[in-house]
Amino acid sequence: MHFNNILARRVREQVLSRRGFLSNAFSGLAGIGLASLLNDELSAASDVPAARGLPHFLAKAKRVLQIFCPGGASHIDLWDHKPALEKHHGQPLPGEEGIVTFQGKNGSLMKSPWPFARAGQSGKMISRLLPHVARHVDDIAFIHSMQSKTNTHGPGCVFMNTGTIFEGFPSTGAWVGYALGSENQNLPAYVAIPDIRGEPPNGKANWSNGFLPAQHQAVVMAAQQPLRNVALPTGVSPDEERATRGFLRMLNERHAAENPGSSELQARINAYELAARMQLSGPEVLNLAAETSATHQLYKTDDPNPLKAAYARNCLLARRLLEQGVRYVNLYCASRASGVDGLLNWDAHKTLQADYDRHCPIFDEPTAALLTDLKQRGLLQETLVLWTTEFGRMPTHQEGVTGRDHNPDGFTCWMMGAGVKGGTTIGATDEFGRRAEVDPVTVWDYYATALKLLGLDHTRLTYYHNGLDRRLTDVHGNVLNELLNN
Amino acid sequence: MSRPTHFLISLIATFALVAGGVNESHAKSPVDFARDIAPVLERHCIRCHQPANAKSELSLATFADLAGNGYVVPGEPNGSHLLDVVTAAIGEEPLMPKEGPPLSESDVELLRRWIAEGANWPDEIVVREKPKADRTWWSLQPLAVTEPPSEAIPSAWDKNPIDRFIYLQLAANKLEPNPRADRRTLLRRMTYDITGLPPTPEEADAFLHDDAPEAYERLVDRLLASPHYGEHWGRHWLDVTRFGESTGFEINHLVENAWPFRDYVIRSFNDDKPFDRFVIEHLAGDAVGPGDAAIEVGLTFLVCGPVDIVGNADAAQAAQIRADAMDEMIRATSEAFLGLTIGCARCHDHKFDPVSQQDYYRLFATFTGVRHGDRLVGPQDQLRERKQKLAQLEAQKKQVLDEKSAAEKSAGEGFDSQKFDMQLAELEQQIKGLPAFPSLRVGNFEQPVRPQHVFLGGDAGRSGETAAPASISTLGEVAEPYALSDDAPEQLRRLALARWIVAADNPLTSRVLANRLWHYHFGTGIVATTSDFGYMGEKPTHPQLLDWLASRLHAEGWRLKPVHKLIVMSETYQQSSAYRAEAAQVDANARLLWRFPPRRLAAEEIRDTILLLAGRLEDRGGGPGFQLYQYSRDNVATYTPLESFGPETYRRSVYHQNARASRIDLLTDFDAPDCAFSVSRRIPTSTPSQALALMNHSFTMSMAESLAARLLTEAGDDDVPAQVNLAFELAFGREPASAEAAAALALAEQYGVRAFCRALLNSSELIYVN
Repeated sequence: MHFNNILARRVREQVLSRRGFLSNAFSGLAGIGLASLLNDELSAASDVPAARGLPHFLAKAKRVLQIFCPGGASHIDLWDHKPALEKHHGQPLPGEEGIVTFQGKNGSLMKSPWPFARAGQSGKMISRLLPHVARHVDDIAFIHSMQSKTNTHGPGCVFMNTGTIFEGFPSTGAWVGYALGSENQNLPAYVAIPDIRGEPPNGKANWSNGFLPAQHQAVVMAAQQPLRNVALPTGVSPDEERATRGFLRMLNERHAAENPGSSELQARINAYELAARMQLSGPEVLNLAAETSATHQLYKTDDPNPLKAAYARNCLLARRLLEQGVRYVNLYCASRASGVDGLLNWDAHKTLQADYDRHCPIFDEPTAALLTDLKQRGLLQETLVLWTTEFGRMPTHQEGVTGRDHNPDGFTCWMMGAGVKGGTTIGATDEFGRRAEVDPVTVWDYYATALKLLGLDHTRLTYYHNGLDRRLTDVHGNVLNELLNN
Repeated sequence: MSRPTHFLISLIATFALVAGGVNESHAKSPVDFARDIAPVLERHCIRCHQPANAKSELSLATFADLAGNGYVVPGEPNGSHLLDVVTAAIGEEPLMPKEGPPLSESDVELLRRWIAEGANWPDEIVVREKPKADRTWWSLQPLAVTEPPSEAIPSAWDKNPIDRFIYLQLAANKLEPNPRADRRTLLRRMTYDITGLPPTPEEADAFLHDDAPEAYERLVDRLLASPHYGEHWGRHWLDVTRFGESTGFEINHLVENAWPFRDYVIRSFNDDKPFDRFVIEHLAGDAVGPGDAAIEVGLTFLVCGPVDIVGNADAAQAAQIRADAMDEMIRATSEAFLGLTIGCARCHDHKFDPVSQQDYYRLFATFTGVRHGDRLVGPQDQLRERKQKLAQLEAQKKQVLDEKSAAEKSAGEGFDSQKFDMQLAELEQQIKGLPAFPSLRVGNFEQPVRPQHVFLGGDAGRSGETAAPASISTLGEVAEPYALSDDAPEQLRRLALARWIVAADNPLTSRVLANRLWHYHFGTGIVATTSDFGYMGEKPTHPQLLDWLASRLHAEGWRLKPVHKLIVMSETYQQSSAYRAEAAQVDANARLLWRFPPRRLAAEEIRDTILLLAGRLEDRGGGPGFQLYQYSRDNVATYTPLESFGPETYRRSVYHQNARASRIDLLTDFDAPDCAFSVSRRIPTSTPSQALALMNHSFTMSMAESLAARLLTEAGDDDVPAQVNLAFELAFGREPASAEAAAALALAEQYGVRAFCRALLNSSELIYVN
């Protein structure tokens, strides 16, 4: 806890609570983050060093793409090669024979149904399920020793996004928007792109502003789901719209002039202007038809598999958003838990092979295309790419079936792009992939590192709520310096 | 190993006196643990190495903790590992402390001498981390007996005691209050403030033409007697109680029988139920009104927070999830009633306030018998009788069914089922005829079978000392403490806590409540952090006034309406909101109340206002809520916002069935909270998504149409200027300026009155109150 922040926080609180928040999520101009808020709004009111000077240090990354595979994507079937599993296939897990995990009792060790192969200059072993993403391994830094606090999807997803297992806390994208604002005049700072199959476990809590002011929540947008309320109401012509807005503006400006001393009223007028611009820019950024056919071919937006095509379109949308300066894009591949485990997401409890033969082709080629595209357009240099899931899976099969149960004790996430040392791997699970054994990494470490790349000190990015100066990293977090380029 | 806490406190006080005071005069005398060593451990070590946390399994709280690990060997400094870790090798940093500066050479030397002299550590001394605030913290003191200051002040501000407090503090800052607001403004301000709705034209007419001196007071009385008062102030309380109508977390199914709590809250506010009674019903309604659904429904408070009901076969995880559910209950209770963030003491003693980890687990032990879920509520004997009869009838039914299928088997094709069907129908009839009792979301209660333990580091798998249900030590001797035994009856645990919370000598509850009232009337509390009266919260701007108001609550028998009346009758409340730059230079946010602070309406008020203006608001209170989302569920729930809202939704927003993690057009946009936890205040924002929703959602269009139709009916078919005038009157309570009227007319004539109405519904003036 940084006590020298308390005064800064108090000053900030007064602005936030009493005068409303003169900001919005949608512009560099008024869509100020904390940095400019404190400079512009509080310069007169505050002389606190901590209230100024964001970012805290030179940023390597300007924006973030977070790809989230909900359901608990299996580390040992995708990224974390375990030859010992093949050797000991069918034997009990030493020391934990018949262990009871989330869904119940476990059977013996089960090798991955798919072979692994070396990829890239670095020779990283990657599952054959992911031939396209495998081509990017030299740009990726793998963390094989991730640990979660919970073995349950909802709290797990929320933990991976907000740093706590409880609802009501701000997601990373909200924190980043709060700290840095938007680079764009016409689009939100933070966009969540849910999968065509639905929302992830715990739904909107994954992109919530939590206790941060409402403008920091993600705006939801996807190829299958346009920005909410941007279309003109039925029967309103552009001329009528213009005339109505003109009259409204006159009313609101008169009202603001008659009520001096309230910056909220002017902020509201600005918000209407921005909304009008978004009515144009929202559909524009969603207009994938503006892309060349070569690009569509790269992403596979017209793949005969409708789920793959839908995800591909969202990958393409993600690139367009990043290109336009959206600060944080949360891209989901798969959705919530369903009546049938593993059908709608990566939760392969009973039929691992069938489930991942279905999910991986959806994920692999469009994701790889997005990474390729970011790179060839030079965007990757300033974009931090995060690949996350809420936990991994057991090296055993569940009793009586050929799937794996939840495993929060060891799993894989990765990073690439701005400031990240590619072709590296840190941490390791034990020989079976059961537990993080070498250099365990917490969700807080992971985000402390991401924030560092964005120029933010995770211990100093705070917001007062119900008795504490809250942080994304709670009271934890160590920056993973080994992952960073100098 | 619990010790008399007053001893500990005096010890801490002693440490505070000598902290940093290790000086040369001590150097020759033998080392004294309490004076010389404990402060060193307290400053440098205990934050990480305490029983609650025990980094590297090491605690420095007692000698047993320390010696058990071989860290200290009495008489042998060179064999004591403790000295190794705090001493730096040449050119290096010492291993410990990991966080914070190294120990000074003189501190290390003291440790060395202490060990050499035998490492004497008196048994009764437990080293604890000191919170930033101790029990002398302002909010933990008894209510001060305050009389309004008696200095001479202008006569208008001399009558209401509130004004005396406010005026004198303004004067001390060389500020003056604004003059009174005009009556139109006052009418609109107070009608919104008390009912959450604007005045109707008839109400305005009546008040503005009432020249009697007591007209204003009559208005106050009328509004406080309105059933809309409970709807508006009940909504405030639903924020504080984090009332939500879905389970939250991954499953997030709707809870279909939580709404009776919402109606109960509204009813209680309207009836001006004494707040102490209200609190007791929230925590122990089953004790004070057993079998009475109108009282037991208060218990919904305990179980209306988010809860993880996925289920977990992993026993350790399941225990942690259960502890999380208890934590949610403890936080909500302590923040809502006491303004204390007791939740911070889950893993360790509170870092800021004098709340020990033991205190937290006393509350844990208090609530540990509470289970989330539904229960039939009615008199015990009748419930028992019903249960027995139901079991009998079900058994008979099963018997008939068995007989029927046996007969069917033996008779084959010629089977006649009529006899059996008649019997079955008769039984069904009897089952239906059993006395009905409501099934409410009020939780179930089980007698705990084991003593509660402190969970070390908040980990449900690591048990520390036991914690029995008892009052928290925070209020020390200010409020009469209680302590129950480990096996105290479950209900008594909650009842004892409730009684302690509302006891006359508990200064927090009435302070927190008085401050909440002030907060909702003026936009900011006397303490701005309305649920945090601790070190991290803000201090009161008017501490004497706060205590005076809290005392009024006691004097009024915990009834709120007399205190509301006192507040809105004050000159402080009635002054205009006019802005004065020179006053703003001294007090930009008007925390000292040199003007009435203008405010934006809350989300519910905005939606209700639009409905009312359009003539579509249905004045129908109570019952199951309406939904502005489409609800779909399999094993998890999905909430999809609706593209259009039908007439069944045209009720006040407090009756919306608020699901967690859902996004509702207008309501979410205008900062309605998710109620994931107790919401002490809402932060108003101005965002483009508000503009998009209010401009483009079909709700605005249909309301604009309804308003246009209303104008047509009430102002005459073809008299557009009269329609415009009426619209201004209805929306803003004033006539249009000539430029406004001209522009409105032009818009309405070219694009129809609907276009003009749509603009009006989006105007700032509609949603800001002066």
